[in-house]
Formats: sequence, C-alpha cells, structure tokens
Amino acid sequence: MADLLNVIVYLPALGALLLASLPPLEHRNLKATAIAVTTLNFLLSLILWSAWSPAHAGFQFETNVGWIQSFGIRYHTGVDGLSFYLILLTTFLVPVTLLGAWNAVETRVREFVIAILVLESGMLGAFVALDLFLFYVFWEAMLIPMYFVIGVWGGQRRVYAAVKFFIFTMAGSLLMLIAILYVANVPTGWDFSWASAVSRNFDPTLQAWLFGAFMLAFAIKVPMFPVHTWLPDAHTEAPTAGSVILAGVLLKLGIYGFVRFAYPMFPQAAIAYAPIIGGLAVAGIIYGAVAAWVQPDMKKLVAYSSVSHLGFCVLGVAAVTVEGMTGAVYQCLAHGISTGGLFILVGVLYERRHTRLLSDYGGLARKVPVFATFLVFTALASAGLPTLSGFPGEFMILLGTFTAASPLDQIVNVPGLGGIRMAQVLTVLGATGVILAAVYLLWMVQKVLFGPLQDPANERIADLSVREIAVMLPLAALMIVLGLFPGIFLKGIEPSVQRLVTTVHQKAGQTYQADAGAKRLNWLPAGPGARPALQRPLRIDPNRLRLAPGRFDALRPEDIRRPPTP
Amino acid sequence: MMNLGPLTIDLILCGLTFGVLSVDLALPHGRKRALGYLTAVLLAGLFVVSFFIDVSGSALSGAYQGDAWVLFFKRFALVAGVFVSLGAVDYVDRHFPTRQGEFWVLMLFTLLGMTLLPGARDLLLLIVCFELMGLPLVVLASFAKSEDKTGPGQFAPEAGLKLYLVSSVSTAITLYGVSIIYGLSGTTKLAELGGVGVSPMLFVGLAFALAGMGFKIGAVPFHMWVPDTYQGTSTPFVSFLSVAPKATGFAALAAVLILGFAHQKAAWAPLVLFVLVTSIFFGNLFALAQKDLKRLLAYSGIAQVGYMMIGLLTADAYGMGMLLFYIAGYLVTNMGAFLVLHAVAPNRSTITLDDVRGLSRRSPRLALALLLFLLSLAGIPFVVGFWAKLYVFMAAYRAGYTWLVLYGALMAIVALFYYLQIAKAAYMEEPTDAEPIRVDGSLDAVVMACMALVVVMGLYPSPFLQGAMAAARALFG
Repeated sequence: MADLLNVIVYLPALGALLLASLPPLEHRNLKATAIAVTTLNFLLSLILWSAWSPAHAGFQFETNVGWIQSFGIRYHTGVDGLSFYLILLTTFLVPVTLLGAWNAVETRVREFVIAILVLESGMLGAFVALDLFLFYVFWEAMLIPMYFVIGVWGGQRRVYAAVKFFIFTMAGSLLMLIAILYVANVPTGWDFSWASAVSRNFDPTLQAWLFGAFMLAFAIKVPMFPVHTWLPDAHTEAPTAGSVILAGVLLKLGIYGFVRFAYPMFPQAAIAYAPIIGGLAVAGIIYGAVAAWVQPDMKKLVAYSSVSHLGFCVLGVAAVTVEGMTGAVYQCLAHGISTGGLFILVGVLYERRHTRLLSDYGGLARKVPVFATFLVFTALASAGLPTLSGFPGEFMILLGTFTAASPLDQIVNVPGLGGIRMAQVLTVLGATGVILAAVYLLWMVQKVLFGPLQDPANERIADLSVREIAVMLPLAALMIVLGLFPGIFLKGIEPSVQRLVTTVHQKAGQTYQADAGAKRLNWLPAGPGARPALQRPLRIDPNRLRLAPGRFDALRPEDIRRPPTP
Repeated sequence: MMNLGPLTIDLILCGLTFGVLSVDLALPHGRKRALGYLTAVLLAGLFVVSFFIDVSGSALSGAYQGDAWVLFFKRFALVAGVFVSLGAVDYVDRHFPTRQGEFWVLMLFTLLGMTLLPGARDLLLLIVCFELMGLPLVVLASFAKSEDKTGPGQFAPEAGLKLYLVSSVSTAITLYGVSIIYGLSGTTKLAELGGVGVSPMLFVGLAFALAGMGFKIGAVPFHMWVPDTYQGTSTPFVSFLSVAPKATGFAALAAVLILGFAHQKAAWAPLVLFVLVTSIFFGNLFALAQKDLKRLLAYSGIAQVGYMMIGLLTADAYGMGMLLFYIAGYLVTNMGAFLVLHAVAPNRSTITLDDVRGLSRRSPRLALALLLFLLSLAGIPFVVGFWAKLYVFMAAYRAGYTWLVLYGALMAIVALFYYLQIAKAAYMEEPTDAEPIRVDGSLDAVVMACMALVVVMGLYPSPFLQGAMAAARALFG
C-alpha cells in the first residue's frame, strides 16, 4: 500500500508528461484526459482509504529510501490522520475543479491542464513528505504551476497578482529553508528526517527564532493576518480552477505545516507564543469577515471569507488542545469543500455574464432556481450552519480554545481593564466571526438572488447545465456528510492529533489532560520522571507573560525549572 | 626524460589547435563552416579521452600539478568549448564566412589557457596562463566585420577594447601584488608561500593579487566591464565569456588563497567576504533596473559569482566542492540562457524584453528552456541552480557564517523579481512579432542539452556532487 501512496503522488505528474507528449489534440480531449487521470487518482486514493486504519496514531504506508545520501536527505513518505484526509480532499477536488472549469479556459488548454496536474503532484507530495527537505522541495514545486495558472489564465491584473503571490510565498519559504538547514545541521552531519527533528530539543531562545521562521512561511501560505494581502489579489485574478485549488488545498498546506512541523518541532515556542498566534488568528477572523462584508466583487468576498475561515483553523491550532487541533484539521476539509463550491458557483456566473460585481446581479432566484439552491446551500455550509459542513469544525475549535487545558487560558493584564481571561475573550471574539460569516454570506446571497431583477442582461441567464450540476452534487453531498457524520473523519484525525498534542505538551514540560471540563489549570509542571525528553531547563518567566498573581498559585518559577538531575 | 603526464590533455589540445589551423588553410571558401563542427568534435573527443588517461602527478619541477581538482577544470573548459562551438557555428558562418578559422583557433587557444591554468603551481606560470586565456578572449570579443556599422558587430570593437583595457590593467595589478608577495617570501612557488607571516604588506600584496583576479571573474568592485562587454559582443560568445573564464578565475583564486596562503586566512578572508557581499548586493540591485537582457544577465552573473565565493570563503574541502558544483551548474544554466537569447535574436547583439515577449507562442521549446534556466538561476527546486545555492548555503552554515546564509537567501528573493520579469514576458505577454522562431540545428541541440542537464542535475544531483567533492578533496591533498 505504500507503493499505492507513491503512485497517487506521481500519477498526476505522469499524466502531465503524457499530455505533454501527445500529438495536438482537441481541447475537449485534453480536458477529458486530465479529468480521467485525476479521477483515477481519486479512485486510487479511495482504495487507499479502505486499507487505512483510522485508529492508528502513527504513520502508515511509509516509504523510506535514500535520496541524497551524503547530505542525509531521504525519500521518506507516509501519512497519518493529519494528512490523510487532506490527501483525499486534494484528489477529490482536482477532477471536480477541472470538470467545473470545463469552459472557463479556452486558450492554451494543454499547458493549463499540465499545470494543474503538476500542481496536484506537488500538493500531494508536500502532504506525504516526512523528510524536511523533501517537504521543502514539494512546497516550492507547487509554486511554479500556480504562478502560471494565475499569471497566464487569470483576469485583468493577473500578472501583478501572480508575481505578488510568488514573491510572498518565496520570501516565507526561503526563511523556512534557512531554519530547515539549521535544524538539519546536527553534529554528526546532516539529518533532514522529520522524526529526528521532532525528537530533538532546542534551546528556548533558538526555538523562538526557528519557530518564527517556520511560522512565517506557513502563515503566509494560510494566510494569517497580517501577511494575507497576497490572497485577495491571487484569488480574484486566478481562473476558477486556480481559485478552487488555491482555497481548497494550497492554503491548507499552511495549517498542515503548523501541525506537522512547527508545533512538534518547537513546542516551547509554540506554547509561549500561543497568545500572540491566537490573537492574530482572531484578528484575521474578524478582519477577514468585515473585509468580506464590504466587497463589491463576489470573488473578493469569497477570498476574504477564506482569510476569516482559515483564522479559525489557526486559532484551533494555537490552542494546542485535542479539540482545537482536530477542529482545525476538520475545518480545513470543510472549508475546502464549501469554499471550493462557492468559487465554482461564482465562476459559473462569471462565465455567463463576465462580471463579478454584486451590483450587476439581483433577482436571479427566479431565473436560475437550481443555481440559487446550490448557492444558498453552499453559503449556509460555509457560514457554519449546524448540520452542514462548516459547523463541526468551528464548534470544536471554539470548544478547544475555551478549555482550561489550552495555553491560551491565561490571565493577561490589560492596562485599564485589569486581568482578562485570554481564552474566553478569544473564544467570544472568534464566535462573532461565525455571526459575521452568516452576515456577509447571506448578504451576498441576497444581493445576487433576491430583490428585483434590474439588469435586462440577467433575463437571459441560463441555469446550471448538467455538467455543472454533476460538479455541484458531490460537493453538496459532502457538505451534508461532513455536517451530519463528522465521526467518519474525526475517528481518523483524532488519534494522530492526540499524539501530537501530547508530544507538544510533554516536550514543553507540561502534562496535558484532555479533560476539557477541568476548572483548574491543568497546565502544571510534571515530576521529573514524566518528561525524560527535556534536556534543558524550561524557562518560563511569569512576569514576562504578565500573569496576574494568584492565578498560578500552584505554579511558581522554581516549579518550572527542572530539578537538577542526580 | 621530462614527465609531461599531467600536461597530456593540454598538449593534445595544442596539437588540435594547429590541426584546425592547417585544415582552415586547406578548406576552400564556402566550406569553412565545417571548422566549427570540427572544433566541437575534437573537443568532445578530448573530453572523452580525459576519462581514459592518467594525468595525475607533478611536472616541470613542481611548477605544474595534475590531480582530480585540475582535471575537473580541464573537463569544464572542454565542455564549455563544445557547447560554444556548436552554439556559435551558425553565427560565425553567417557573419564571418571567410575568417572562421581565426575564430576557432583563437577559441582553442583561450581554451588551452583555461585547461593549463588550474594546474599551475607557480605564480608566474599562473599569470602566463591567465594571459594565454585572456588575450584571445579580447580578440574574440571584438570580432566583427569592419564594414559592419549597423549589424550585430557594431559595438564589438568597443566591447573588445573595454575588455582589453580591463584585462591588461588587472594583469598589471596582479603582477604588482605578486611582486610584493615575492618580496615577502622570496619564492613564486605556491607550495612555499605558506611560511610568510601575516603582515600589513602581505595584506596589500594579496589585495592587489586578488583585485586582478576579481576583474577576471567580474566581482564587485571590479565588475564595470562586464555589462558593457556582454552587451556589445556577439551573444554566443558571451555565453562562453560569462562562464568559462569565471571558472578559471576561481581556479586561480583557489590556487593562491588555499594552496598558497591557507594559513594566512585571517589576511584574506575579510577581502573575500567584502567582495562577495558587495557582489551579491550590487549585482542583484543593478540587475533590477536593466532593460537589456544581456546586461541583466551580466549583473545577475555578478551576483552569482558572489554566491560562488561563499565556497571560497569557507576554504575547506566541503566548501570548495560546493563551489565546483555551483560552477558546473552555472555552466549549463548560464550558457543555456544566453544561447536561448541568441536563438531568439540571432542577428542582433542588443536583446531586450521585447524579443522574448510571448516566446511561449513563438517557440514553446525555447520558452520552456528559458524558463528552466531562469528558475535555475533563481534557485528553485528541481533544477540544478537550487542545489547549487543550497549547497553553498550548507557550506556557509558549516563554516559558521549563519548571517551570510540569511543574507544570501534574502538577496535571492530580490533576484526573483528580475528573473520572473523575463519568465513573465515569455509566458504571460503577447508577442510583438508572432512569427515562429527558426533555430539552427546545432544551436538547438546545445540548448536542449543544457536544458536536459539542468533537469538531470536538478533531479539527481548525487553523482555530480560526489564528483565535485572528490575533485575538491584533491585540492587539499
């Protein structure tokens, strides 16, 4: 089955090679070939799912062979609960997107499908890589096809958007490369393996720097406030297929990077900076939502909604609780499906009317009932209506943020306000994002579908074709499945998250008790026996964290410092 | 009998040069195109032969040395020679139909200088080899039709003159530096220089010697000639000029600094550091503003030299191996990039963004090649330039220059702007002239070979890296 995983990763790239070597074909045949290849890939990943054991927390389907031996670079791939469903999401979204964008791209079709296929291989590779170096290589490899997808087939300002996307992402990833090199530079030579990077303990100051470098790369990808500015441009200018893949999968790689690399490798820094990350996440949730609300352009609205929704994912990760992180991974899946759907629907309108402005529409509900149904449905799923896909993830994230086991649960002294409980404030503010999401999405629905039909051009607008319905139906079905039966996916995600959260807390010198109902802070230093992995004393200065006295009555500085080893 | 084993390749090359000269006399006008192919075949043959003969050992009473390190540079020059002969044969045939013999013979002489120099273990021999390489380059750079007032050769005399002046001044400076070094040490043998104590005078001598070599590799602040010469000279020749002399310059630098003054690193490391930091900075900065693509690549080359010098700075087998890998990758990448530019505008020496605009419509193959070369220059994975940059960064880490890695990576982001600008024009803009491009067969073959090598070395760098490391270890005995 490990071979099957590798086949899944490289099949799209092989398909791209095949398409590149074929004699001139009609556009239809090129697209059909690409869809056939990616659908086959999806079926293969379903076979992989049948062999996948969800209860297993560790890696499955591993391949581990030497690649560049003299530098300790290995070809090591495998999946666990953090990555497996994201792989399914990728293999599912690509054929659906290609079918959805059937008419959207009419020029240089061969290059277009090749770019999408190479992109798919790059994304899958990044999800399965268990070698820091391999991960970096795939991470970068996604950049070039996406650059072209935006820059060649995009809208008016496509070149600007493409270059901005490229430079932003590259700037982040170069810093990550530097941090990777630093981590891999071990006394015995080079060691790029994920396992050894995670098993090591770095000095807390060093951790802060390395964590910062990794976080910047991933935060740009997510994108987290305030490095999100490339996203609205890239999303708006990209062709529909590009937007769907960008929102559906590429952004998730940022979250995946957090949970796979940054958090387990630098747990002390992750916990020390949790309030900052959580704060930025909530800022992103609210900023993205408010910005989405005021957009006159539908695609930009959906783009900003991504900033807001991905803010939830970051918040869940920052909480470092099982609920929060599971919710974050789940929200990635849900957001991929619902936002992908929204982008496809916006693309459908754009193909018919060549405008994305909300003001050009209105009253479409009577003319295009099928479209209207899907739009309302997808918008509600995206807004997190209970029973639809957006709800479980957001709920778990908020739950996980609120719990006392989270490092976000601290009392922070705010001048003028006195001590406030960070976790509760973040949860409350984050929850307003759910409300705001309903506001801007329903605002869009209302502007597009309801009200008087003013523009005569909208009189002749055609409803969804059979092809478009065929694209939207599986998406809608998944929105229901994800909303009603989250257990299908959660049972696979949770064991791996559990392992991750335990590792992070243990390495940071704390015991983590998954007992979310605990009223007291469970975030206590364990006895010396419970943290054998910790090499250096943990330095947490309560004054620097500005903790209120009395709150940590059980926690004194001398408790945190590790007792001298006998 | 004298042991000339280490000089076998050079002696054969010398013989081949005279062979080409005689064939030129025998060939009637109109048939001289064959000379270019002949040169390519002979050089390729010699390259193959280099794998079967033993050139290790010492010759000329210790003034000449043959080992894996030297052999690397010899092969490098031969490969560059093969590529440039095939890439330029059509150009030479069309523009100087009667003088092709001179062109190829000069090319072979400059190659002879390049194969000889890395083995020189005596400062005087080093300088003689430098001149053997440098003077034919000057003539080649100014190669133009005298009646040619508007064609591709219109700026060639100016370009040649600039190269000549800079080249002779730099030789003079080097000689002056060498005379100071000789005054301090009483010897010109590299192996015996190590006993000199670090003194202000040594610093001055080294600074002068390095300045002369800095001119050859085109590093800041000795870079002024580079963009002007590149712009004025014929593009296929620039593809050679931008790569091969740089490698030889590095061989000379390594000989002086590592074989001669390894123990005086404290005296020269600040100089090297200064040159590399400013090269990376100004190369990238000036490249941003260029409209002429040859000037742009000239400045990018200045920055690339800065990256290569990181390997020199570490002064260990590890760093030098990385340097060799970088140069090898740079050979296929940069030659390929210039040859694509040549293929796009074969009859002009000035090439701007307009010429590559919409290239993907006019010639998808050339556009793809150009894209891969640009990605390689920018250091993006799956092409050789990525490993090249990565490896020098690794070497810098090992040597403790963490800040240099950060600096290099940040400047690589700056470089993205101008490399992407070309890729953008080639792929995302409409052509000004929609006519498909017709490329000469042998030029096309070289471009494709470079592209294949860029990808192969990018996907599977191990064997090349091991070769480079083995060569570098030979330098350290």
